[in-house]
Amino acid sequence: MNNPFSLESKVIIVTGASSGIGAQCAIDCSKMGAKVVLVARNEERLRQTLNQMEGDGHMILALDLSSSDGLKEVIKDVVSKMGKINGVVNCAGMSSVTPLKMITDGQLDQFFRTNVYSAINLSKEVTRVGNFDKEAGCSIVFFASIMGLVGEKCKTMYSATKGALIAASRSMACELAKNKVRVNVVSPGAIETPINARLPHMADAELRKELEEKHLLGLGECADISNACIYLLSDAAKWVTGQNFIIDGGYTAR
Amino acid sequence: MNVQEFIEKFAEAIDIEATELTADTEFRTLDEWDSVAYISVIAMMDEEYDIQIEMPTFKTLKTLGAIADYIEKNK
Repeated sequence: MNNPFSLESKVIIVTGASSGIGAQCAIDCSKMGAKVVLVARNEERLRQTLNQMEGDGHMILALDLSSSDGLKEVIKDVVSKMGKINGVVNCAGMSSVTPLKMITDGQLDQFFRTNVYSAINLSKEVTRVGNFDKEAGCSIVFFASIMGLVGEKCKTMYSATKGALIAASRSMACELAKNKVRVNVVSPGAIETPINARLPHMADAELRKELEEKHLLGLGECADISNACIYLLSDAAKWVTGQNFIIDGGYTAR
Repeated sequence: MNVQEFIEKFAEAIDIEATELTADTEFRTLDEWDSVAYISVIAMMDEEYDIQIEMPTFKTLKTLGAIADYIEKNK
């Protein structure tokens, strides 16, 4: 029997592939047979991810996605080198613990550019005619968070951007379905990654214990999330679009 | 560094009147001290004084005067 979760010969772009969940997604996509385009700002760290991947024919793309300048040409170039795109995993993002009154216009702007504009702009370019595989279809995965669904102190900026992605994905799913492009969201609970390991809610023993207790199954690992991405990218999810997959160890169950 | 100036910034960060505070105030005993207050003070120290303080170090500081001293020595 064919494995419906296989990503064999699919071309998948993974942003934020230099660390954490993004790196795990890139590694696990390669293990499932995909040809992966690894995107992040830091080429050296992308190489570290590449060294942990299986198979060959992967591509490294050092790129700052917070600006869309030149993105159209970059994606054309990717397609010419790798073939038509079958999936995008938008892992690139930023997080902070910032009290409401400390929020500035500049920070809000940076959060929306990094977490929202980047994912929408990349999806826009990938779904242009000729860039994606219209025959096999294309799966776009946005990364939101349970903070897009429920609240937590000092997470206003992060929550605002993640809620925006959840809302945007549904409209994109409606608009792109006719082209066999599926758009879904993965909303993780707290996963220990380099981006958050030094933030107070992870670094402080008391706050961490509090956080762990909110997840029925404890804190998650990067692979808990990458496995959900593999499903959404694979043909096993060919009838799934406009959905938000909450992978949170039971955080939102109560 | 002017300790009074720091006290005013601290008070503003955790939403209390600066007149209630002195250099000897043990800030963890304040009713307003909670996890958001802590994060607000850490953020204020970073923004106003360019000081990034790790949690274990912050825990050793007991009074407002001690925080002000730490800022003075590390800025």
